This record gives sequence, C-alpha cells and structure tokens, in this order.
Amino acid sequence: MERNPKMEDALVSSHKLITYYTDEPEKSEEIRPILNRILVRDEDILAIVRSDISRNGVYNDEYLIVTNKRIFVISTNGQVLKGFNLREVKSASIRPYLGVCALVVNTDNGSKTVVVYSKRRKSAFEKVVTLINDMVLLKIPTNELKSTLRQYLSFGKRPTKRSVFFKILKMTGSTWPLIVLTLFLSVLGSLISLLPPYLMKILIDQVLVPRAHFDLLTKIVIGLLAVYASSSLLPQVGHLLLNIVRSYVNLKLNQKLTFKLRSLVYSKIQFLSLDYYDKYSYGDLYSRVMDDVSRIITFVSVDLEAVIIDVAMIVFVGVLLVSMSPLLTLISMLPIPISIIGTMIYRKTAPKYYQRSWNKWSEVISILSETLAAPILIKSFNKEPVMIEKFKKKMTEHLTTGIDIFKYEQKLWPAIGFSFTISNLLIWWYGGMNVIHGVLTLGSLTAFTSYMWRFYGPINDLLNHVRAIQRAMVSGERLLEILEAELSVKESPHAKDVEIKGEIDMKNIWFTYDGIYYALHNVNLHIKPGEHVGIVGPSGAGKTTLVKLLLRLYEPQRGEIYIDGINIKDIKLSSLRRQIAIVLQNPVLLNVSIAENIALGKENASLDEIIAAAKAAKAHEFIMRLPEAYDTLAGRSGKRLSGGERQRIAIAMALLKDPKILILDEPTSSLDALKEKEVSEAVDELTKGRTTIIIAHRLSTLRKVDRIIVMDKGTIVEEGTHEELLKKGGLYKRLFEAQVEGLTRMVPTQVSK
Amino acid sequence: MSLEKWIKSLRILNPKKVKVIHAELDTIDLEIEGMIFTDVRPRRPFPYTHPEYIIFYDKDEKEIGILHDYRKLDRKSRALLEQVLNLIYFMPTIKRILSIDRSKGWKYLWRVETDKGFREFETRGRCTRLLPDGRIIITDASGNVYQIKNLNELDSKSIAWLMFVL
Repeated sequence: MERNPKMEDALVSSHKLITYYTDEPEKSEEIRPILNRILVRDEDILAIVRSDISRNGVYNDEYLIVTNKRIFVISTNGQVLKGFNLREVKSASIRPYLGVCALVVNTDNGSKTVVVYSKRRKSAFEKVVTLINDMVLLKIPTNELKSTLRQYLSFGKRPTKRSVFFKILKMTGSTWPLIVLTLFLSVLGSLISLLPPYLMKILIDQVLVPRAHFDLLTKIVIGLLAVYASSSLLPQVGHLLLNIVRSYVNLKLNQKLTFKLRSLVYSKIQFLSLDYYDKYSYGDLYSRVMDDVSRIITFVSVDLEAVIIDVAMIVFVGVLLVSMSPLLTLISMLPIPISIIGTMIYRKTAPKYYQRSWNKWSEVISILSETLAAPILIKSFNKEPVMIEKFKKKMTEHLTTGIDIFKYEQKLWPAIGFSFTISNLLIWWYGGMNVIHGVLTLGSLTAFTSYMWRFYGPINDLLNHVRAIQRAMVSGERLLEILEAELSVKESPHAKDVEIKGEIDMKNIWFTYDGIYYALHNVNLHIKPGEHVGIVGPSGAGKTTLVKLLLRLYEPQRGEIYIDGINIKDIKLSSLRRQIAIVLQNPVLLNVSIAENIALGKENASLDEIIAAAKAAKAHEFIMRLPEAYDTLAGRSGKRLSGGERQRIAIAMALLKDPKILILDEPTSSLDALKEKEVSEAVDELTKGRTTIIIAHRLSTLRKVDRIIVMDKGTIVEEGTHEELLKKGGLYKRLFEAQVEGLTRMVPTQVSK
Repeated sequence: MSLEKWIKSLRILNPKKVKVIHAELDTIDLEIEGMIFTDVRPRRPFPYTHPEYIIFYDKDEKEIGILHDYRKLDRKSRALLEQVLNLIYFMPTIKRILSIDRSKGWKYLWRVETDKGFREFETRGRCTRLLPDGRIIITDASGNVYQIKNLNELDSKSIAWLMFVL
C-alpha cells in the first residue's frame, strides 16, 4: 500500500492503482487508517465524501465511501452504518428536501437512501452521484474513471491570486508600451508638483528672511509659474501639455484594452459548447463580457497607475522629509496608524449601513415594478390604497437609512481629522522651537509642512485602491474561467468534410446534462436515408435532447452516433452543421432585415431564391404586406414578428440551406389550425426527399411520417406506424386517445354557442 | 431540390415584353406579351436595398410576375411606372437639417428641407437605420420615412445636428 503524504489539491493518492475523489483531503486522510481496517482485498477507494448531518438528524459527521466494490457509510469511529454492493446498485440519484438532500441508490428491491447531507455539501455529493452512475450505468471500468476524477478537480480548481494578476497583465499584451508611457507621464507629473514647496523654501530662506538676492525673487516666481502651468496641479486652470498628453495616452490605452479584452471573451463565448450556456445564465455571461472587462480595464488604466504614483510619491516625499528633519518626520507619521485603523473600521462597519440603504431602495423599486407589471391584479382586487401605503412606508424607511449613514460618518471622520490636526500642531511647536534655536531654517519648516500633506494623501489613496484591486482580481478570475474553459465538444484533428446522404445510426446513447439525471439512457435508433421519422412522448422524455446530440451541440457520455456509417466525431463541425437544418419550436431571428435572415441559409443567395424560399414556406404573403417588405428589420430576437411568422421564416431559411437531414421541433406548434394546414404544406415541401426527424406533441403533425418513435423517460419505448402503435395499445395509444378526447370534448360546447 | 421547383415557378418577366400603357395614382395598366392587365399594383419587395426589383399584383392581389430591373423597360413605360412608384414609395430625401429640438427628452422634433419641400416631424427612440449602400433611413413617430442619400452632400451644420441622433 503506497501513500503519498503530499496532497496535491484535492486529489489524494490512494491504496493501489488510482487516486480518489474528495473535496476535503485533510479530513479524508484522517479516516484513512480506520478505512484500511474495513477494506477487503483488491478494494480501491474511489471517493471519500463527508456528510455533515448524521442519520439521527443532528450535526455530526458521517463519511460516504465509494470503492470499486461497494458504497458504504461509516461514522467517525469506524462503524459501518449502511452498505451496498455495487453489483446490486442500478443507479444513484439525489432527492432534494427543504433543508437536506438525500443520496439514493436504486436497487432491484427499490430505491434506498444511503446518506443525508446539508446543502452546503451539495456539489461534492453531486460529483459522487456522477461517479457512481459512471460505474453502474455507463459501466466505465474503474481505471478509466481516473480521468473523470481529474476533470472534476480541474473544474473546481481556482487560479491563485498571483497567477490571476499576471495572466491579466499578459492579456493586456501589446498595450504594454502604452501602459509604461502613461505611468511614466503620471510619475513625471507628480514629481513636478513636488517642486513648488522646494522653491518656496529657497524664497523664504535666501530672499525673504535675509532680505537679500532680490533678483532671485523674480526668478523663483517665474519658476513657480512655469511649474504650475506645466503640471496638473491646477487642472481647472492649467490642464496643460503634460496632463493633456497623459490623458490622451490613457484614453488610447483604455480603448485598446477594451477592444482587445472584449473581443477575446466574445470570440471565446462563440465557441463555447452549449453546456456552458446551461451552466452560466444569460445574465452571467453578459456581465462577464461587459462588467468584468470594464473592471479590469479600470484597474489597469486607473488603479494600477494610481498605486504606482502613490508609491513613488511616498518614497520621494519620505526621502525629502527625512533629509529635512528625521524627528519631525517621525512626529508627522503619528496619525498615520490612526488613519489606517480608522479606515479599516470604516471598511468593516460602513457596508452595514450602505447595504441597508440599498436593500431599502430595492424594496422601493420592487413595489414600483410590481405595480407596473401587474396592474390588472392590483385593480381587480382593489389594492391601490394598500400599494400606496406600502410604497410610502418603504420610501420613509429608505430615507431614514440616509440619516443613519450621516450620523455614523459624523462619529468617525472628525476623530481621525483631529489626530492629524494634533500632529500638525506638534510639528509647528517642535519645528518652531528648532527655528528659534537656529537648528532649522524657516523655509525648511514651511516646505516640511506642505510636503507632509503630500505624504498623507498617497497613503490614504493607497488604502482606497486596495478594494478596487481586489475586485479586479475577482473579475479576472471570472474572465479566466471563460477564457480557459475547455470545449467539451472538440473537433478531432483528422475530422473531414463529408458529403452526407442522410443515414443516421445512434448506438447505446447515454446522456446527462448535470451528471446526475440521465436525459437519455441506452437509446438505439436507426434511420434510413430519406426516411421520415416522428418522435413523440411526454415532455421531458428526451426528444429534443436527442436531436441536439445529432447536431453535436452536446457530446453523449456514452455511445456513438454515425451518419452514413461515419462517426460524427470524424466529421468537421462546420460540414455537419451545414448539412443538417433545424427548425425550432420558437425560433429566434437576428435583428437584421427579413431578407438577410432568410439568406443566412445560403451564402450569396439571389433575390429570386429568397423569394422562392419564402413562398415555399408560406411566408411571402405576410412579408409583402409589411410596408418595408423583405427589408423590414426583424427586431431584437425577431420580436417584431409573431411566433408563426418567425417559424415560417425559419422554414424558409432551412429550405434555402438545402440540408440532407432536417430536424423539425414542433414545426406547427405556434400556429392556429388554419395556418397549421398552410405551414404543414410548406413542411411537406421542405421534407421531400430528405431524412427528416419531426418532434411533435400534436400527433396530427405526424400523419405523413414513415415511422413513429415513442419516447418516455429518456428511452425509446415503442416504435412503428400509427396503425401498428394503436394496435399495440401502449403509451402511444394513450397519448392519441387523450388528444382525441380533448378534441371531441370541445365540439359540443362550440356547437351549443 | 424542392426549392428549384419553386424558383422555376416564379414568373420572371422579360422587360422587353412588358409595356406600361397607363398610370393612375397607385395603379397601372400593363401589357405583357400582348395581354392587357388593368388596375395593376406594383410592389417593391426590397424597397431599400433593391428598389429596381418589382412584383406586379392584379386587382385581386394575385401575383402577375416579377421584373428584376424595371429600369430596363422602354423609356415611356419606365416613366409611367416611376411616377406611381415615386408616389407610393414616398421617401423624401433630406437636403438640409435646420434643427433637431431635443428639449423633450426622448422625443426629437426635426425641421428639415427635403427634395419634396419643407417638413417638420417627430421621432422617438432609435429612428435611424444605416443601409449597406451608406444611405440613412429615418422613420418618424407616425411611420413616415425620410432618407439621407449621401452624408457627405449635407452641409456641416446639418451633419452636426445629425451627430446627435446617429
């Protein structure tokens, strides 16, 4: 038995041949000695996961152990509480409850709960369920599980702060000369602003006090004028040369970076497999492209610059102060710790007040939006006065929080300000003594006090930037997560362009979106070239999932798909998707003209082809009724058109694409009965001579198909022609009867009207 | 395969065999290969991008045929057809923008000089559309359409006004 004392991430080297999964390596290693007593010969640990709730319902640890032979639960003292032989386990799943979840295994004797855990332990247990299913459902051999285990770990692995920082800087790439230039200009500008106190010192010590060197007076005044004019000290008056050049270069940098980062993330998103779109919401991806990029750019062009200037100023001014009087420097530093502590207190306590204010504000907003969204509900229940009262109450609460913030800030800041005043007075007192005793010149004291304030500024500033930097790091992490995401649907290096005929063969397909619930299990389907197949079944049966796999939007966990005998992994994605068209239930269009939307189906489509396709799809007539006809913009996501209109345009696109394989997902679902007849003519036109898969709820859509596949709970349960299936008397018959019954029940009410 | 059939079913007219014999306000009388059609409505399927492409409809809104480029008609026919098209595709060209009043927030009040005369109109929200050929289409709040054919032909003041809305 070899053991690796060094735990690399969460992956712990174990027992014999493989590493095991755990998200808490230290705790798992603690119970390893106990485990070694329990394990039998040739038994390898695959996972150790801690549950935080024991079976009697109190917070107490129990451990779920998965090995290549069994699944069992032990208490911390090594007592085996529950165990299942892997051979009797059919699959594993999760039952979510209000406060806990239960891991359940399905055996021949029904489903059995193995362990319960709090939702904090959710993701670790989800991975274990996937692991168990990989073994018992997909029958992946134990030694191949190793790669799956590694995948989990890289998924949860977070890049270190330092690597994020450098990776962000690397992303900024070619903009580096610009960054250095802005920094140089900024530091230069700040250093120039240090000159005036020095000139003042000369003015006082050499001209005013000895009443001599009157020629110097004019020179120094001119010198001061030059400094003020050329620096950014007086932005409202000056804003001259240096500042303008600096601002310009900074703007350039900003734009270059924005362009670079946004297009980088945007292009990556384009190629992300669909599972990423499932995992991250629309809003999440959107905010990564927009907000996170902005935050990083602000960091590079504002915060980074400020920090470097601050550090430079602190060093320069510090040296100047010490050179004038070390003791005075020490006195001037007294309030700095107080200020830092004060700022830290503020950081800790202020959010409480601000958060409360924001919360109250969002409550005000939510009442308003409720009112605007549900006027009928409010009016029909006479709830207007209640809503007005509620609104007023929340408004008052929000206003009160403003006063609270004011009161709170009045407590903290004056105290800090006072510490600075004290140290300032001390400097005048001690410095004044030194001047009287001739140790220090009057000019030096004047210069010292004005430099002192320039010392405080950058220190405070530095504290303020800490948070911006932290936020930029978080944004950087979020960006890297996307940029470094591995595509789950990858093109094999020897993938070819293939002209397909349209024979489809799906063999033993297993697929899950989340690793826990299998949307498809063991699906076998063969479709001949040119055959028309209908797929029916209750919602959630896996109909749409099946066609998504055909388009290779997802990769099945197990099983292979062949087109004309070629594994689709060996066909170029572009080649595959060019020859398969899909008309979705609720198609989305781009906000370009209708003509351009239709022409997406074929590059350089002629005007005649566009019109012919629209005519075949029964879209031409409604398009011509629009004042701008084919030049009408479809609107955002095509929202200017109705569902049925969008669907017919989608059919026109598919016709123009001239696909070998056609997938129609509920092709007539958003149409009324009359339109449905018209569109089904268009559909007939479209499907002639092509391999066609029609997914349908309305069984009437399937009148003309050669074969009907009935799916339920992820598997094919029946197949045959309409008549054959009716004779069989299974699920299809029940679905059919339910629809017919629904129709006949409608008839008398309509007649009686 | 099936699309071929549909393309073949389009009745593409030969401009040499089409004559416009009469024009009313929004209809024309046509002679196609010796046959007379009265009360014909010409329509542009691509009014912005391909205004030369015309579909003729008869008085029952049934399609008669398609002209790929009506400018290939004989001179008299073309003039008659253009007379109708110019009226029903009424799209004045803006020559000069006198002012765009933006004081009412998201409602803009335009005062412009067009090739069809002086006009005041109101737009709301995003109202401009840039066409691939560089023309700018402006749609007002009631759905009327104006165009700017070439940005460079406008005077600098008009361009300055336009910058607020583009």
